[in-house]
Amino acid sequence: MAEPILKVENLSCGFHTEGGYQRVVDRLSFAVAPGETLGIVGESGCGKTVSALAVMGLLPRPAGVVESGRIALDGDDIASFTPEAMRGVRGRKIGMIFQEPMTALNPVHTIGKQVLETLRLYEPRTDQTTLRKRAHELLEQVGIPAPAQRLNEYPHQLSGGMRQRVMIAMAISGRPQVLIADEPSTALDVTVQAQILELLRSLQREHRMAMLFITHDLGVVAELCDNVLVMYAGRVAEHAHVRELFGSPRHPYTRGLIQSVPLPDTPAKSVLAAIDGVVPALKLMPPGCRFSNRCQYVDNICRTAVPALETCALDHEVACHRWRELVA
Amino acid sequence: MSAPLLEVRNLKKYFPVRAGVLLRKVGQVHAVDDVSLTLDRGQTLGLVGESGCGKTTVGRTILNLLPASGGEVLFEGRNLRELDSAEWRSLRRQMQIVFQDPMESLNARHTVGRIIEEPFVIHKLGDAPFRRVWVAELLERVGLPPSAADRFPHEFSGGQRQRIGIARAIALKPKLIVCDEAVSALDVSIRAQIINLLLELQREMQLALLFIAHDLAVVRHVSDEVAVMYLGKIVEQAPAEEVYTRPAHPYTRALISAIPVPDPTRKRERIVLQGDVPSPVNPPSGCRFHTRCPFVAPVCSTKVPQWEAVAPRHFVACHRWRELPK
Repeated sequence: MAEPILKVENLSCGFHTEGGYQRVVDRLSFAVAPGETLGIVGESGCGKTVSALAVMGLLPRPAGVVESGRIALDGDDIASFTPEAMRGVRGRKIGMIFQEPMTALNPVHTIGKQVLETLRLYEPRTDQTTLRKRAHELLEQVGIPAPAQRLNEYPHQLSGGMRQRVMIAMAISGRPQVLIADEPSTALDVTVQAQILELLRSLQREHRMAMLFITHDLGVVAELCDNVLVMYAGRVAEHAHVRELFGSPRHPYTRGLIQSVPLPDTPAKSVLAAIDGVVPALKLMPPGCRFSNRCQYVDNICRTAVPALETCALDHEVACHRWRELVA
Repeated sequence: MSAPLLEVRNLKKYFPVRAGVLLRKVGQVHAVDDVSLTLDRGQTLGLVGESGCGKTTVGRTILNLLPASGGEVLFEGRNLRELDSAEWRSLRRQMQIVFQDPMESLNARHTVGRIIEEPFVIHKLGDAPFRRVWVAELLERVGLPPSAADRFPHEFSGGQRQRIGIARAIALKPKLIVCDEAVSALDVSIRAQIINLLLELQREMQLALLFIAHDLAVVRHVSDEVAVMYLGKIVEQAPAEEVYTRPAHPYTRALISAIPVPDPTRKRERIVLQGDVPSPVNPPSGCRFHTRCPFVAPVCSTKVPQWEAVAPRHFVACHRWRELPK
């Protein structure tokens, strides 16, 4: 296994709100190596996007803060970087793509102008003609047909899939070592999603990027990721190799998630194994295990003590008091 | 045999495209073109397709939320176009809709009680005390506490709001509910709860569901029959199992192969379609799928494929379905 390029240790971050400080991500740790894809899965509000923004140094200031923890990128602790220093990291070392490419692209500028602007940031001394050639190559690389024409078009003239390709082109234009993809295919149709996933996979292989893939779709995780981090209400519930996770999920939440998705062989119209209840609001989190109020295996200890992340098998960690009893 | 609950014949819906200062009509969007469907009591018909294929327009045109440009909709054998307004009102009670985003379809300024009560008020049923009891019963039926009646939609989570939308839809004991992407915006664990609720209600009330969605795995789970739409046309229709195990149309095959399956040990042959869905303003000639079809032949761009029977109750509109690799 290669040395990790990005290593996050005990990262806690949150937001100052009118009602006081709210911790959104609680002691998150993970690592990704070059060429590896780590999936972060969880439902809305579990903290997956906030974690990614924290890594990028993009938490909205001044409300959002990284409380504690280390974010080691290629040996540097970027959690301690100034905003100016972070500007040198984003794009060049870590690239990011977002869910909605329409909001991430500026509607009043052409695609070409936006791609060139990004490129110029990385190569301020290169002349316009060379940059334009680079932009053309980039669009070609992400599979955009007729790139020369596309460079002169505006975002609204492109389909959702094409816009996402432009975003990917911009994200890799600084040749980053780490690519963070936050639900990049969620807003797309399945056939277009398949194209985008294929593209990400081949780009990653080609550039040996480490990829952090944030999604709520377990199907996408199973197809794309090497390792998976399951988050629930701001904490890691389970962390394992993808085959291990789907083959022997240990956390009741992970099990519930997997079972609540109908598979091709689930009997039609059968009752799906839904998880009861909803994720509690941050202020109303149960004191012990945050899943305790929805867990069917809840015990007294779950309500009072926060479960630690324990190793339960090779490349497999789980944060559940009762995982040993639930193995069978 | 008695008439099916819902029969849609050659339904068409075109939207004008206007341009210039005089807003002259310069073309039309062929949103729905010659769609025919039938749905029986207590059954689910799944309608799948990608964005812009016209599936939502089909649902809305059936309910007359959008006037049809052509074709007929028959409900229990009665042609909806030939009804007077009184008849229409009484039929309207029997067909309801649940939308994708309950936050947008529930009036944010009304209490949940008032929202659910509204169908009774519109149809002048019961008086205030009665309605209060009915609302409480409906809330309980969809898994919400009676106290929810005094709260506002924003106080609820997405899943709970969808329960409110469902409570309103079942208030008048309809025979048909159009579920327009009703579970698409929900998190997986919540989605499963809502799917279970819809299926329970279907069994209890003999509800027919027109389940419109882009998520093929979910559609397969809830549907008895599935119709696949592409650019305003239905390209294939069959019993749910059949569509997924023996898809005949190349588009259906591509769609199914594109579903990410949550099982890392399953490695599949994937058909990755090239390009995007073309514009419905000038849909491709012949078979509308021919610009993206991996099996395209010369005939596909010139002749519109006819409905052919692949098996009993399994229909496809493709010139080449017989020759395609199994």
